[in-house]
Amino acid sequence: MNTGKTYPPPEQSIPSIAMQVASLVLLLVVVVVLGGCKTSDSGAIRFGLASAPITLHPLHATDATSSRINRLIYRRLVDFDDNSMPVASLASWEQMSATAYRFYLGSEGREFHDGTRLDAEDVVATYRYVLDERNASAQRASIATIETIIALNKNTVDVSISKPDPLFPGYMVLGIVPQEAILRGHDLAREPVGSGAFRFLSWAAEGSVQLQRIGDDQLIDFVPVRDSTVRVLKLLNKELDLLQNDLSPELLNYLRAQESVSVRTAHGSKFSYVGFNLEDDVTGQLAVRQAIAHAIDRDAIVTHVFGGSARLANAMFPADHWAGNPDLKSLRYDPQRSRQLLGEAGYGPDNPLSMVYKTSSDPFRLRLATIIQNQLAEVGIAVSLRSYDWGTFYSDIKSGMFQMYSLAWVGIKTPDIFRYVFHSDAIPPKGANRGRLRDARVDKLIEDAESQVLLVRQAIHYRTLQSRLLDVMPYVPLWYEDNYTVIRDGFSGYSLALDGNYDGLISVQREPVTTHGS
Amino acid sequence: MSFLLSRLLSALVVMFGVATLVFLLIHLVPGDPVEVMLGESARPADRELLRHSLGLDQPVQVQLVQFYQNLLRGDLGQSLHSQRPIADMIGERIGSTAILAGAALLCAILIAVPLGMLAAVKKDTWADYGAMGFSLLGVSIPNFWLGPMLILVFALHLGWVPVSGSDSWTALILPAVTLGTSMAAILSRMVRSSMLEVMGEDHIRTARAKGLSTGRILLHHALRNAMLPVLTILGLQLGVLLGGAVITETIFAWPGIGSLLVDSIMRRDYPVVQGCVLLIALIYVTVNTLTDILYAQVDPRVTLK
Repeated sequence: MNTGKTYPPPEQSIPSIAMQVASLVLLLVVVVVLGGCKTSDSGAIRFGLASAPITLHPLHATDATSSRINRLIYRRLVDFDDNSMPVASLASWEQMSATAYRFYLGSEGREFHDGTRLDAEDVVATYRYVLDERNASAQRASIATIETIIALNKNTVDVSISKPDPLFPGYMVLGIVPQEAILRGHDLAREPVGSGAFRFLSWAAEGSVQLQRIGDDQLIDFVPVRDSTVRVLKLLNKELDLLQNDLSPELLNYLRAQESVSVRTAHGSKFSYVGFNLEDDVTGQLAVRQAIAHAIDRDAIVTHVFGGSARLANAMFPADHWAGNPDLKSLRYDPQRSRQLLGEAGYGPDNPLSMVYKTSSDPFRLRLATIIQNQLAEVGIAVSLRSYDWGTFYSDIKSGMFQMYSLAWVGIKTPDIFRYVFHSDAIPPKGANRGRLRDARVDKLIEDAESQVLLVRQAIHYRTLQSRLLDVMPYVPLWYEDNYTVIRDGFSGYSLALDGNYDGLISVQREPVTTHGS
Repeated sequence: MSFLLSRLLSALVVMFGVATLVFLLIHLVPGDPVEVMLGESARPADRELLRHSLGLDQPVQVQLVQFYQNLLRGDLGQSLHSQRPIADMIGERIGSTAILAGAALLCAILIAVPLGMLAAVKKDTWADYGAMGFSLLGVSIPNFWLGPMLILVFALHLGWVPVSGSDSWTALILPAVTLGTSMAAILSRMVRSSMLEVMGEDHIRTARAKGLSTGRILLHHALRNAMLPVLTILGLQLGVLLGGAVITETIFAWPGIGSLLVDSIMRRDYPVVQGCVLLIALIYVTVNTLTDILYAQVDPRVTLK
């Protein structure tokens, strides 16, 4: 019987709804799983990085990670020995006159990874590329004195410079790229072609770079993991084989207690210091700067914060650098002397000294600054700590908006740094004389050193200069931080370099697995 | 159609505002792009040459107009460091971010819906207290703590999944759970309160009077109506996820937009920061518009005007 009423269509059953939901979930899971799937490889030595490389173009790289990986892919004409003296790498050299050098390409490293031969034209093309201001290479400033560079033949390059400079061979450290790659605008930043110990294989979107060692085809994976705790956990979980630097002292101590990894340390050249503004009414007074220097207990910080993994510094260069001064008197922790100097400057309990100390927002640097703040408080200096993001901090330092700050110099090898940092002509933006030091004696010593044609003669002047800087005290030298590596058991042959490069990968080996049987 | 047009128009206005704001803020941040590219030791003449070639010697308003013109062509500019097109850099990362966002969303829904329903059905019982306790915990635990804890337990001690990375699908599990947990906590509370409200309505009483089973009432009559406010939250949360889960991506070395943004901030690569922020704004605007449209699809009472 038809009542005339209409009824809604029958509702779906619960099993039908459940099936729909289950299907949807399954589909999403499949999509997610397939999307997340990527191939993984094995047999590679995995090296954990704190930051991904930015560019593998050796003529544009400015960050430390890119530069260190580029060292493995490309070869240079000149390199440095353990005392930071320039030594032959691709080429030996001869000084033809005060302003002319001849470089002779040797037999090693003469084959690019694309199979072509590296010759003098490639060297010339590399240097001319950097010298061409239109290419905006950050390396240009270091070789700006080059006037002409020509290939005499396939194995010989002649270079003339605008003024005599015995340090010049030390500037010939650009990674050599194929002339043909430059001419056809090959993307060297993403597909590098060098003649170094490793050939480039791939660069994944997430930043992992894979290289292959020439000779034994050993693969090396550089895996960026920004978070240091996660980096350590990956090492312990056997997802990484090797870490180098960029760990907090706590993490390093934790790793020292682990059985499956070993921690090795070696001297480093990273130089930390406290800088002063000499144009400031307070820090412009030598007595105040000396009082601060005597109030900082560097020994205690090195022992308790760095766990002994740093060397106390008295100058920018360590004593074992060819221009270093082993005879510098070490700064003494002497709070009594510090109070006395403050008194001489007119400060004391009735007129306490207050000042501002700027630092970056890096947690470890901030922690060190807090310790120094506390040590200065013990002699009656009230320090107000200001921590800024790098851009603001750096901008303030360059523009002289500070009384006191802390920073570090990384990877300095040649003493031309002294002009750049301490000469009165190098006040920003012309250079990095951020403390605004204007000392006629310092200027004269720098100029005298530069006028010497022999490095041994230069070294004498630079040693005197470092002694003078300790007297004038535009900065308090703190320490040179050690380099360290944490390596899983089963690997050998990795050695640490003074500047923290990754050259140890050239010799690192997996140890063969030994089996014990009856 | 008029609704769609008006939403599109308002989205364009928002994007224009965001683009202008981001451009001006980036120009206020201390730090010279030329110095970032050439280094502190560059010669003044070289700096000026590069400044000119980048157009940075032009007045800000001229640079702003140029910026708009480039944006309209889809040109986000180049990275200061790698010299690569920013659109390429973002394109490489967006897929990873979408995968992580999808997985986290799935994880959140799978946890939140049953939990919220359970809490609503078993109101004022231990099940309710337990579910809401979990929810409170999920909201309170920060991702920077939860992530390493999950790594310690599931990667290091149990060895079920890798610590981090994107080499295999198993590497997706921990970041998805880390991201999904806090979202699940918010969603489950929303599902509970929404379900409780719907369960008291007349049509549920009618369904009960018709003799329908509890399961059917819950799934077919209550949950569908209860999902409306949940959908709004879900849309907003999806915007957050697609915009790059900065902390989670950093902890798990997940190669998404969030980690690109952090890396670019650390390197002071301002054009990349600018590009990432614009993309995040675009995602928010798009997701919100889509949520509004979806809302009308789910609830016939809502009309698009």
